[in-house]
Amino acid sequence: MHELLAQAPLPVTPGTYFGWGPVMIQSGNLVVILTMLALFILALILPFPGGRSRK
Amino acid sequence: MTKVPSTMSWRTGDNIASRPWRGRVRDYDLFKELTIGVVVVGLLVLGLSAIFSSPDDPGVTLKSWAAAAPADFVATATAELGGSSGTAGYGPPYNSTPDASQHLGFFNPQELSGVRLAIDTANDFVINPLKTQSTQLPAVAVWTAATADQQAKWAANYSAALAAAPDGDPAQVAKGSYGPVPELAGALLGMARSGNLDGVLQNSGQPYNLNYTPTILFLGDGSYFPSLAAAAHLTGDQWGVMNETGNTPGQSWLWLFSLFYQIEPFKSSPNADILVVSTMLVLSLLLTLLPFIPGLRSLPRKIPIHRLIWKDYYGQR
Repeated sequence: MHELLAQAPLPVTPGTYFGWGPVMIQSGNLVVILTMLALFILALILPFPGGRSRK
Repeated sequence: MTKVPSTMSWRTGDNIASRPWRGRVRDYDLFKELTIGVVVVGLLVLGLSAIFSSPDDPGVTLKSWAAAAPADFVATATAELGGSSGTAGYGPPYNSTPDASQHLGFFNPQELSGVRLAIDTANDFVINPLKTQSTQLPAVAVWTAATADQQAKWAANYSAALAAAPDGDPAQVAKGSYGPVPELAGALLGMARSGNLDGVLQNSGQPYNLNYTPTILFLGDGSYFPSLAAAAHLTGDQWGVMNETGNTPGQSWLWLFSLFYQIEPFKSSPNADILVVSTMLVLSLLLTLLPFIPGLRSLPRKIPIHRLIWKDYYGQR
């Protein structure tokens, strides 16, 4: 393990970031948060699965 | 007979929960649901892992630090010798530096824990590793024979000279009264370059070592390691708690923790960590005790989002 660590090249990958004033968000996190919001909105809009057959 | 209101509250003594269900019933196969759930989630995990992979940045070692930023390594080794590094002044659990720990009024958990992992930076990070070398440096004997005042003076002089040298280059330091410090720092740099220092600092005397504390503390005292963290947006003032290296999604559920570090009074407070943790503790308690807090517990009635989700059900009522 030490050998593997010692051979490691540097530096780390910086990634893509978006910022508005003090707010800064990483692209991966932004995708996850937008997906969660989209799922929440879909849950509000779409009918409950099987809901119609229960009537 | 008075009609008893049908509520689930234990206070009414209505005991509605123990009544037999008289509504519609339907078949439900728990094994089918479990199987579908495991298969679907398993396929999703494997598929997303194959497409997006996971962060795999190489570890930072003392060897890689010594190769990439030797001047910073020598400056840090000198600070460890002089007791002026971040670790040397951290307070508990590493040492008993007064007024170094974070506290909330009189509550000081860091002090309460005491010095449990005593670290003498000069001996633990520099002198003792050098003593493990097969050929003993005369500089080590000179250092150990000197008084504490003399040692501190040598290290302070050399730290100031390194800071004044172009690019902090040890080769371009002006002549001065540094005692054995340049030789000690230079020898430690040689040990680090060869990879020996990683092994010596992590040697706990056990067959398998999982304690990287000394290495991480030493790395953190320099400028190189924190600058890598800043480049990867992982520091506290960069929402670092919720970030991961590269574009891999991080711990975005820690956004509220991270938010407090970006705003005053937390941002500039020397007690930021304990203030943020205490605030989150209070907020978590409020969430846990929500059913018992008048006003807050009525929010779903005043903001009926659940009626939108179960609109079919509420539409029929």
